[in-house]
Amino acid sequence: MFNFLQKKSFWTILITALLLLVIMKLSSSNRQEITVLEKLLRDSYSPLQTGVDKLKIGINQISVGMAHKKEIEEQMVALETKNNLLSLENQQLRENKAEVERLRSLLAYKQAQQDQYDLEAARVIARSPNNWYKIITIDKGAENGIAGGMPVINPDGLVGRVVSVSTNSAQILLITDREMAVGAILQETRETRGIVEGMGDSGTLRMINIPYYSQVRVGENVVSSGLSETYPPGIHIGSIQVVTKESNGLVLSATVSPAVDFNQLEEVLVIKKYRQVEANGNKGA
Amino acid sequence: MRYLILALLPFLALFLQSTIFRTFNINGAIPDMVLVLVVFYALLNGDRKGTMYGVMCGLLEDLYIGRFIGINSISKGITAYVIGRLQGNVFKENIIVGIIGVIGGTLLNSGLLFILSLTSFEVFNLDHSIFIDMVYQGIYNTLIAIPMYVWYYRSSSRGLLREVGER
Repeated sequence: MFNFLQKKSFWTILITALLLLVIMKLSSSNRQEITVLEKLLRDSYSPLQTGVDKLKIGINQISVGMAHKKEIEEQMVALETKNNLLSLENQQLRENKAEVERLRSLLAYKQAQQDQYDLEAARVIARSPNNWYKIITIDKGAENGIAGGMPVINPDGLVGRVVSVSTNSAQILLITDREMAVGAILQETRETRGIVEGMGDSGTLRMINIPYYSQVRVGENVVSSGLSETYPPGIHIGSIQVVTKESNGLVLSATVSPAVDFNQLEEVLVIKKYRQVEANGNKGA
Repeated sequence: MRYLILALLPFLALFLQSTIFRTFNINGAIPDMVLVLVVFYALLNGDRKGTMYGVMCGLLEDLYIGRFIGINSISKGITAYVIGRLQGNVFKENIIVGIIGVIGGTLLNSGLLFILSLTSFEVFNLDHSIFIDMVYQGIYNTLIAIPMYVWYYRSSSRGLLREVGER
Protein backbone atom coordinates (compact mmCIF):
# COMPACT_ATOMS: atom_id res chain seq x y z
CA MET A 1 0.00 0.00 0.00
CA PHE A 2 2.84 2.36 0.84
CA ASN A 3 5.03 1.30 -2.07
CA PHE A 4 5.17 4.86 -3.31
CA LEU A 5 7.29 5.70 -0.25
CA GLN A 6 10.12 3.72 -1.76
CA LYS A 7 9.99 5.61 -5.02
CA LYS A 8 12.78 8.14 -5.56
CA SER A 9 10.47 10.42 -7.59
CA PHE A 10 8.00 10.69 -4.70
CA TRP A 11 10.69 11.98 -2.34
CA THR A 12 12.08 14.33 -5.01
CA ILE A 13 8.63 15.88 -5.53
CA LEU A 14 7.94 16.08 -1.80
CA ILE A 15 11.27 17.73 -0.95
CA THR A 16 10.96 20.16 -3.89
CA ALA A 17 7.43 21.14 -2.87
CA LEU A 18 8.43 21.65 0.78
CA LEU A 19 11.49 23.65 -0.23
CA LEU A 20 9.39 25.87 -2.48
CA LEU A 21 6.82 26.43 0.28
CA VAL A 22 9.60 27.52 2.66
CA ILE A 23 11.11 29.87 0.06
CA MET A 24 7.63 31.25 -0.61
CA LYS A 25 7.17 32.16 3.02
CA LEU A 26 10.65 33.66 3.26
CA SER A 27 10.30 35.77 0.12
CA SER A 28 7.44 37.90 1.35
CA SER A 29 6.92 41.37 -0.10
CA ASN A 30 8.77 43.02 2.79
CA ARG A 31 12.20 41.88 1.66
CA GLN A 32 14.64 44.78 1.42
CA GLU A 33 17.23 42.97 -0.69
CA ILE A 34 16.77 40.69 -3.66
CA THR A 35 19.01 37.73 -4.52
CA VAL A 36 21.84 37.85 -7.07
CA LEU A 37 19.82 35.58 -9.36
CA GLU A 38 16.82 37.92 -9.29
CA LYS A 39 19.09 40.94 -9.86
CA LEU A 40 20.75 39.22 -12.82
CA LEU A 41 17.40 38.27 -14.33
CA ARG A 42 15.92 41.75 -14.01
CA ASP A 43 19.06 43.51 -15.21
CA SER A 44 19.06 41.29 -18.29
CA TYR A 45 15.40 42.17 -18.94
CA SER A 46 15.55 45.92 -18.31
CA PRO A 47 17.54 46.94 -21.45
CA LEU A 48 15.14 44.87 -23.59
CA GLN A 49 12.12 46.42 -21.89
CA THR A 50 13.59 49.92 -22.24
CA GLY A 51 14.15 49.14 -25.93
CA VAL A 52 10.52 48.10 -26.42
CA ASP A 53 9.36 51.22 -24.58
CA LYS A 54 11.47 53.47 -26.83
CA LEU A 55 10.26 51.59 -29.91
CA LYS A 56 6.66 52.10 -28.77
CA ILE A 57 7.24 55.83 -28.33
CA GLY A 58 8.93 56.00 -31.75
CA ILE A 59 6.08 54.18 -33.49
CA ASN A 60 3.53 56.37 -31.72
CA GLN A 61 5.34 59.52 -32.77
CA ILE A 62 5.64 58.42 -36.38
CA SER A 63 2.02 57.33 -36.65
CA VAL A 64 0.74 60.49 -34.96
CA GLY A 65 3.03 62.59 -37.13
CA MET A 66 1.86 60.96 -40.35
CA ALA A 67 -1.81 61.18 -39.47
CA HIS A 68 -1.90 64.74 -38.20
CA LYS A 69 0.91 66.61 -39.93
CA LYS A 70 -1.18 69.67 -40.80
CA GLU A 71 -2.93 69.61 -37.46
CA ILE A 72 0.43 69.47 -35.68
CA GLU A 73 1.74 72.46 -37.63
CA GLU A 74 -1.32 74.48 -36.61
CA GLN A 75 -0.93 73.30 -33.05
CA MET A 76 2.70 74.36 -33.05
CA VAL A 77 1.80 77.90 -34.03
CA ALA A 78 -0.92 77.97 -31.37
CA LEU A 79 1.45 76.53 -28.78
CA GLU A 80 4.14 79.08 -29.59
CA THR A 81 1.64 81.88 -29.01
CA LYS A 82 0.49 80.22 -25.83
CA ASN A 83 4.09 79.75 -24.75
CA ASN A 84 4.75 83.46 -25.07
CA LEU A 85 1.70 84.23 -22.98
CA LEU A 86 2.69 81.64 -20.40
CA SER A 87 6.21 83.07 -20.21
CA LEU A 88 4.72 86.43 -19.30
CA GLU A 89 2.40 84.78 -16.78
CA ASN A 90 5.34 82.83 -15.41
CA GLN A 91 7.21 86.04 -14.71
CA GLN A 92 4.24 87.34 -12.75
CA LEU A 93 3.98 84.03 -10.90
CA ARG A 94 7.63 84.21 -9.97
CA GLU A 95 6.95 87.56 -8.41
CA ASN A 96 3.99 86.07 -6.56
CA LYS A 97 6.07 83.12 -5.47
CA ALA A 98 8.70 85.41 -4.01
CA GLU A 99 5.97 87.21 -2.13
CA VAL A 100 4.50 83.92 -0.87
CA GLU A 101 7.93 82.82 0.27
CA ARG A 102 8.41 86.02 2.19
CA LEU A 103 5.04 85.48 3.86
CA ARG A 104 5.92 81.88 4.61
CA SER A 105 9.13 82.89 6.27
CA LEU A 106 7.07 85.24 8.38
CA LEU A 107 4.97 82.27 9.40
CA ALA A 108 8.15 80.42 10.32
CA TYR A 109 8.00 77.97 7.43
CA LYS A 110 11.60 77.40 6.50
CA GLN A 111 10.91 75.94 3.08
CA ALA A 112 8.11 75.96 0.62
CA GLN A 113 5.91 72.89 0.15
CA GLN A 114 7.45 71.95 -3.20
CA ASP A 115 10.87 71.63 -1.59
CA GLN A 116 9.66 68.82 0.63
CA TYR A 117 10.59 66.02 -1.70
CA ASP A 118 13.81 64.83 -3.23
CA LEU A 119 12.41 63.33 -6.42
CA GLU A 120 13.74 61.03 -9.12
CA ALA A 121 11.78 60.86 -12.36
CA ALA A 122 11.53 57.44 -14.03
CA ARG A 123 9.82 55.81 -16.98
CA VAL A 124 7.61 52.75 -16.72
CA ILE A 125 9.30 50.11 -18.90
CA ALA A 126 7.29 47.01 -17.98
CA ARG A 127 4.28 45.82 -16.08
CA SER A 128 3.42 42.73 -14.14
CA PRO A 129 3.76 39.62 -16.33
CA ASN A 130 0.62 38.15 -14.75
CA ASN A 131 -2.78 39.27 -13.52
CA TRP A 132 -2.22 38.47 -9.86
CA TYR A 133 0.07 41.29 -8.90
CA LYS A 134 -0.16 44.97 -9.66
CA ILE A 135 3.46 45.85 -10.18
CA ILE A 136 5.36 48.01 -12.64
CA THR A 137 9.05 48.13 -13.52
CA ILE A 138 10.82 51.49 -13.87
CA ASP A 139 14.07 52.31 -15.66
CA LYS A 140 15.87 53.61 -12.56
CA GLY A 141 17.51 51.44 -9.94
CA ALA A 142 20.18 51.30 -7.25
CA GLU A 143 22.55 53.26 -9.51
CA ASN A 144 20.18 56.22 -9.31
CA GLY A 145 19.80 56.05 -5.56
CA ILE A 146 16.49 54.17 -5.54
CA ALA A 147 15.97 51.92 -2.51
CA GLY A 148 13.25 49.61 -1.28
CA GLY A 149 10.32 51.21 0.55
CA MET A 150 10.51 54.59 -1.20
CA PRO A 151 7.09 56.05 -2.03
CA VAL A 152 6.23 56.66 -5.68
CA ILE A 153 3.95 59.41 -6.97
CA ASN A 154 3.00 61.16 -10.17
CA PRO A 155 1.46 64.63 -10.60
CA ASP A 156 -2.03 63.16 -10.02
CA GLY A 157 -1.29 61.38 -6.75
CA LEU A 158 0.07 58.32 -5.00
CA VAL A 159 1.24 55.47 -7.25
CA GLY A 160 2.76 52.95 -4.81
CA ARG A 161 6.06 52.05 -3.22
CA VAL A 162 9.34 50.51 -4.33
CA VAL A 163 9.45 46.83 -3.37
CA SER A 164 12.70 45.67 -4.91
CA VAL A 165 15.63 47.23 -6.67
CA SER A 166 18.20 45.91 -9.12
CA THR A 167 21.09 47.89 -10.62
CA ASN A 168 19.17 49.56 -13.45
CA SER A 169 15.55 48.93 -12.61
CA ALA A 170 13.12 48.85 -9.71
CA GLN A 171 9.76 47.26 -9.10
CA ILE A 172 6.89 49.33 -7.79
CA LEU A 173 3.97 47.74 -6.00
CA LEU A 174 0.92 49.79 -7.00
CA ILE A 175 -1.62 50.92 -4.40
CA THR A 176 -4.19 48.88 -6.32
CA ASP A 177 -2.43 45.61 -5.42
CA ARG A 178 -4.38 43.34 -3.10
CA GLU A 179 -1.61 43.51 -0.52
CA MET A 180 -1.27 47.28 -0.33
CA ALA A 181 -2.59 49.40 2.52
CA VAL A 182 -2.01 53.13 3.06
CA GLY A 183 -2.98 55.20 6.09
CA ALA A 184 -5.42 57.83 4.81
CA ILE A 185 -7.36 60.88 5.91
CA LEU A 186 -10.14 62.96 4.35
CA GLN A 187 -8.58 66.11 2.96
CA GLU A 188 -11.32 68.63 3.77
CA THR A 189 -12.44 67.62 7.25
CA ARG A 190 -9.08 66.20 8.45
CA GLU A 191 -11.13 64.25 10.98
CA THR A 192 -11.73 60.88 9.48
CA ARG A 193 -8.83 58.49 9.46
CA GLY A 194 -8.88 55.11 7.77
CA ILE A 195 -6.89 52.71 5.69
CA VAL A 196 -7.01 52.66 1.91
CA GLU A 197 -6.35 49.24 0.48
CA GLY A 198 -6.01 47.85 -3.02
CA MET A 199 -8.54 45.46 -4.52
CA GLY A 200 -6.45 44.12 -7.39
CA ASP A 201 -8.49 46.20 -9.82
CA SER A 202 -6.85 49.27 -11.38
CA GLY A 203 -10.03 51.33 -11.11
CA THR A 204 -11.01 50.78 -7.47
CA LEU A 205 -9.60 51.19 -3.97
CA ARG A 206 -11.36 50.68 -0.66
CA MET A 207 -11.14 52.81 2.46
CA ILE A 208 -11.80 50.79 5.61
CA ASN A 209 -11.93 51.37 9.37
CA ILE A 210 -13.79 54.67 9.07
CA PRO A 211 -15.53 55.40 12.42
CA TYR A 212 -19.34 55.09 12.13
CA TYR A 213 -19.93 58.70 13.24
CA SER A 214 -17.77 60.15 10.43
CA GLN A 215 -19.38 62.58 8.02
CA VAL A 216 -17.95 61.08 4.85
CA ARG A 217 -19.29 62.68 1.71
CA VAL A 218 -19.18 61.33 -1.83
CA GLY A 219 -16.59 63.17 -3.91
CA GLU A 220 -14.39 64.09 -0.95
CA ASN A 221 -10.66 63.77 -1.52
CA VAL A 222 -8.65 61.15 0.32
CA VAL A 223 -4.98 61.88 1.05
CA SER A 224 -2.22 59.96 2.82
CA SER A 225 -2.28 60.57 6.56
CA GLY A 226 1.48 60.33 7.09
CA LEU A 227 1.00 58.12 10.12
CA SER A 228 3.15 55.40 8.58
CA GLU A 229 6.80 56.16 7.95
CA THR A 230 6.58 55.06 4.31
CA TYR A 231 4.31 57.70 2.83
CA PRO A 232 4.56 61.44 3.40
CA PRO A 233 1.31 63.10 4.47
CA GLY A 234 -1.00 64.94 2.09
CA ILE A 235 -0.47 62.92 -1.09
CA HIS A 236 -3.68 62.62 -3.08
CA ILE A 237 -4.92 59.02 -3.21
CA GLY A 238 -8.38 59.39 -4.73
CA SER A 239 -11.94 60.48 -4.10
CA ILE A 240 -14.83 58.82 -2.27
CA GLN A 241 -17.34 57.11 -4.56
CA VAL A 242 -19.68 55.05 -2.40
CA VAL A 243 -19.98 54.84 1.39
CA THR A 244 -21.29 51.66 3.01
CA LYS A 245 -21.91 50.61 6.59
CA GLU A 246 -20.09 47.45 7.64
CA SER A 247 -22.17 44.58 9.00
CA ASN A 248 -20.90 45.10 12.57
CA GLY A 249 -22.31 48.65 12.49
CA LEU A 250 -19.22 50.12 14.14
CA VAL A 251 -17.28 51.16 11.11
CA LEU A 252 -17.92 52.40 7.62
CA SER A 253 -16.11 51.54 4.44
CA ALA A 254 -15.95 53.47 1.20
CA THR A 255 -15.11 52.77 -2.40
CA VAL A 256 -12.40 55.15 -3.53
CA SER A 257 -11.70 56.03 -7.13
CA PRO A 258 -7.91 56.40 -7.50
CA ALA A 259 -6.50 59.77 -8.51
CA VAL A 260 -3.94 58.12 -10.77
CA ASP A 261 -4.94 56.50 -14.05
CA PHE A 262 -2.97 53.28 -13.67
CA ASN A 263 -3.71 52.13 -17.20
CA GLN A 264 -2.03 55.21 -18.67
CA LEU A 265 0.92 55.34 -16.28
CA GLU A 266 4.08 56.13 -18.24
CA GLU A 267 6.22 58.30 -15.97
CA VAL A 268 6.49 58.32 -12.21
CA LEU A 269 8.41 60.20 -9.53
CA VAL A 270 10.19 58.31 -6.77
CA ILE A 271 10.44 60.21 -3.49
CA LYS A 272 13.99 59.50 -2.38
CA LYS A 273 13.75 61.68 0.71
CA TYR A 274 11.06 63.82 2.23
CA ARG A 275 10.95 66.35 4.98
CA GLN A 276 7.82 66.69 7.00
CA VAL A 277 6.66 70.29 7.49
CA GLU A 278 5.30 70.67 10.98
CA ALA A 279 2.93 73.29 12.24
CA ASN A 280 5.63 75.22 14.07
CA GLY A 281 7.77 75.37 10.98
CA ASN A 282 10.31 72.75 12.01
CA LYS A 283 11.05 69.91 9.65
CA GLY A 284 11.81 66.36 10.38
CA ALA A 285 13.25 63.78 8.01
CA MET B 1 19.45 23.14 -29.66
CA ARG B 2 16.11 21.76 -28.49
CA TYR B 3 16.90 22.44 -24.84
CA LEU B 4 18.26 25.90 -25.61
CA ILE B 5 14.97 26.82 -27.32
CA LEU B 6 12.93 25.25 -24.52
CA ALA B 7 14.91 27.37 -22.03
CA LEU B 8 14.60 30.56 -24.07
CA LEU B 9 10.87 30.24 -24.75
CA PRO B 10 9.71 31.09 -21.18
CA PHE B 11 12.19 34.03 -21.14
CA LEU B 12 10.63 35.34 -24.32
CA ALA B 13 7.10 34.68 -23.03
CA LEU B 14 7.77 36.65 -19.82
CA PHE B 15 9.26 39.50 -21.82
CA LEU B 16 6.19 39.65 -24.09
CA GLN B 17 3.82 39.42 -21.12
CA SER B 18 5.46 42.34 -19.32
CA THR B 19 5.69 44.61 -22.36
CA ILE B 20 3.66 44.07 -25.53
CA PHE B 21 0.71 42.16 -24.07
CA ARG B 22 0.25 44.89 -21.43
CA THR B 23 -0.59 47.21 -24.34
CA PHE B 24 -2.94 44.68 -25.90
CA ASN B 25 -4.76 43.55 -22.77
CA ILE B 26 -8.37 42.38 -22.67
CA ASN B 27 -10.14 44.32 -19.93
CA GLY B 28 -6.83 44.61 -18.07
CA ALA B 29 -6.09 40.88 -18.33
CA ILE B 30 -3.06 39.52 -20.15
CA PRO B 31 -2.41 35.96 -21.33
CA ASP B 32 -0.16 33.57 -19.43
CA MET B 33 2.08 32.45 -22.29
CA VAL B 34 4.39 30.66 -19.86
CA LEU B 35 1.48 28.49 -18.73
CA VAL B 36 0.44 27.79 -22.32
CA LEU B 37 4.00 26.62 -23.06
CA VAL B 38 4.03 24.43 -19.95
CA VAL B 39 0.68 22.87 -20.91
CA PHE B 40 1.89 22.08 -24.44
CA TYR B 41 5.16 20.66 -23.19
CA ALA B 42 3.39 18.44 -20.63
CA LEU B 43 0.82 17.32 -23.19
CA LEU B 44 3.52 16.17 -25.60
CA ASN B 45 6.17 14.92 -23.15
CA GLY B 46 4.22 13.44 -20.24
CA ASP B 47 3.85 14.12 -16.53
CA ARG B 48 7.45 13.60 -15.41
CA LYS B 49 9.17 15.91 -17.87
CA GLY B 50 6.17 18.24 -17.83
CA THR B 51 6.34 18.70 -14.06
CA MET B 52 10.04 19.51 -14.24
CA TYR B 53 9.49 22.03 -17.01
CA GLY B 54 6.50 23.52 -15.16
CA VAL B 55 8.51 23.97 -11.95
CA MET B 56 11.44 25.56 -13.82
CA CYS B 57 9.22 27.94 -15.82
CA GLY B 58 7.27 28.88 -12.69
CA LEU B 59 10.50 29.52 -10.84
CA LEU B 60 11.69 31.84 -13.60
CA GLU B 61 8.45 33.81 -13.32
CA ASP B 62 8.74 33.88 -9.52
CA LEU B 63 12.32 35.16 -9.64
CA TYR B 64 11.32 37.88 -12.08
CA ILE B 65 8.41 39.01 -9.92
CA GLY B 66 10.43 38.56 -6.72
CA ARG B 67 7.51 37.98 -4.38
CA PHE B 68 6.45 34.69 -2.84
CA ILE B 69 9.05 32.78 -4.81
CA GLY B 70 7.72 29.29 -5.38
CA ILE B 71 4.02 30.09 -5.77
CA ASN B 72 4.11 29.85 -9.57
CA SER B 73 6.56 26.92 -9.45
CA ILE B 74 4.13 24.87 -7.39
CA SER B 75 1.02 25.84 -9.35
CA LYS B 76 2.63 25.32 -12.76
CA GLY B 77 4.34 22.10 -11.62
CA ILE B 78 1.04 20.59 -10.46
CA THR B 79 -0.80 21.83 -13.54
CA ALA B 80 1.86 20.26 -15.79
CA TYR B 81 1.63 16.99 -13.86
CA VAL B 82 -2.15 16.77 -14.28
CA ILE B 83 -2.01 17.71 -17.98
CA GLY B 84 0.96 15.37 -18.50
CA ARG B 85 -1.06 12.42 -17.18
CA LEU B 86 -3.23 12.78 -20.29
CA GLN B 87 -0.28 12.31 -22.64
CA GLY B 88 -0.84 8.70 -23.66
CA ASN B 89 -4.64 8.93 -23.69
CA VAL B 90 -5.39 11.75 -26.10
CA PHE B 91 -5.03 12.39 -29.82
CA LYS B 92 -2.46 15.17 -29.70
CA GLU B 93 -2.54 15.95 -33.42
CA ASN B 94 -5.95 17.50 -32.89
CA ILE B 95 -5.74 21.20 -32.07
CA ILE B 96 -8.91 20.89 -29.95
CA VAL B 97 -6.89 18.78 -27.49
CA GLY B 98 -4.37 21.60 -27.15
CA ILE B 99 -7.12 24.17 -26.63
CA ILE B 100 -8.97 22.08 -24.05
CA GLY B 101 -5.64 21.45 -22.32
CA VAL B 102 -5.03 25.20 -22.12
CA ILE B 103 -8.52 25.95 -20.80
CA GLY B 104 -8.25 23.19 -18.18
CA GLY B 105 -4.69 24.22 -17.34
CA THR B 106 -5.69 27.87 -16.90
CA LEU B 107 -8.55 26.95 -14.56
CA LEU B 108 -6.38 24.57 -12.53
CA ASN B 109 -3.42 26.97 -12.35
CA SER B 110 -5.67 29.91 -11.35
CA GLY B 111 -7.38 27.80 -8.70
CA LEU B 112 -4.05 26.68 -7.26
CA LEU B 113 -2.68 30.23 -7.27
CA PHE B 114 -5.85 31.41 -5.55
CA ILE B 115 -5.55 28.80 -2.78
CA LEU B 116 -1.82 29.39 -2.33
CA SER B 117 -2.41 33.16 -2.19
CA LEU B 118 -5.05 32.81 0.50
CA THR B 119 -2.78 30.64 2.61
CA SER B 120 0.45 32.57 2.06
CA PHE B 121 -0.29 36.27 1.81
CA GLU B 122 -0.57 38.29 4.99
CA VAL B 123 -3.17 40.50 3.35
CA PHE B 124 -5.14 39.37 0.32
CA ASN B 125 -8.17 41.48 -0.45
CA LEU B 126 -10.71 39.50 -2.30
CA ASP B 127 -13.60 40.49 -4.48
CA HIS B 128 -15.26 39.26 -7.64
CA SER B 129 -12.71 41.01 -9.91
CA ILE B 130 -10.25 38.18 -9.37
CA PHE B 131 -12.68 35.71 -10.97
CA ILE B 132 -13.42 38.10 -13.83
CA ASP B 133 -9.67 38.34 -14.45
CA MET B 134 -9.48 34.53 -14.50
CA VAL B 135 -12.22 34.33 -17.13
CA TYR B 136 -10.59 36.97 -19.34
CA GLN B 137 -7.24 35.28 -18.97
CA GLY B 138 -8.80 31.96 -19.95
CA ILE B 139 -10.23 33.54 -23.10
CA TYR B 140 -6.93 35.24 -23.95
CA ASN B 141 -4.94 32.05 -23.32
CA THR B 142 -7.29 30.13 -25.61
CA LEU B 143 -6.88 32.73 -28.36
CA ILE B 144 -3.10 32.63 -28.30
CA ALA B 145 -3.09 28.84 -27.83
CA ILE B 146 -4.45 28.27 -31.36
CA PRO B 147 -1.46 29.61 -33.36
CA MET B 148 0.97 28.55 -30.63
CA TYR B 149 -0.19 24.92 -30.66
CA VAL B 150 0.05 24.71 -34.44
CA TRP B 151 3.65 25.95 -34.28
CA TYR B 152 4.57 23.95 -31.18
CA TYR B 153 3.17 20.67 -32.45
CA ARG B 154 4.84 21.02 -35.86
CA SER B 155 8.11 22.01 -34.24
CA SER B 156 7.94 19.09 -31.82
CA SER B 157 7.19 16.53 -34.50
CA ARG B 158 9.47 17.69 -37.31
CA GLY B 159 11.06 21.00 -36.36
CA LEU B 160 13.50 22.51 -33.89
CA LEU B 161 11.77 21.09 -30.81
CA ARG B 162 11.87 17.50 -32.09
CA GLU B 163 13.55 15.07 -29.72
CA VAL B 164 16.83 13.65 -31.00
CA GLY B 165 16.30 10.14 -32.39
CA GLU B 166 12.63 10.73 -33.25
CA ARG B 167 13.03 11.33 -36.95
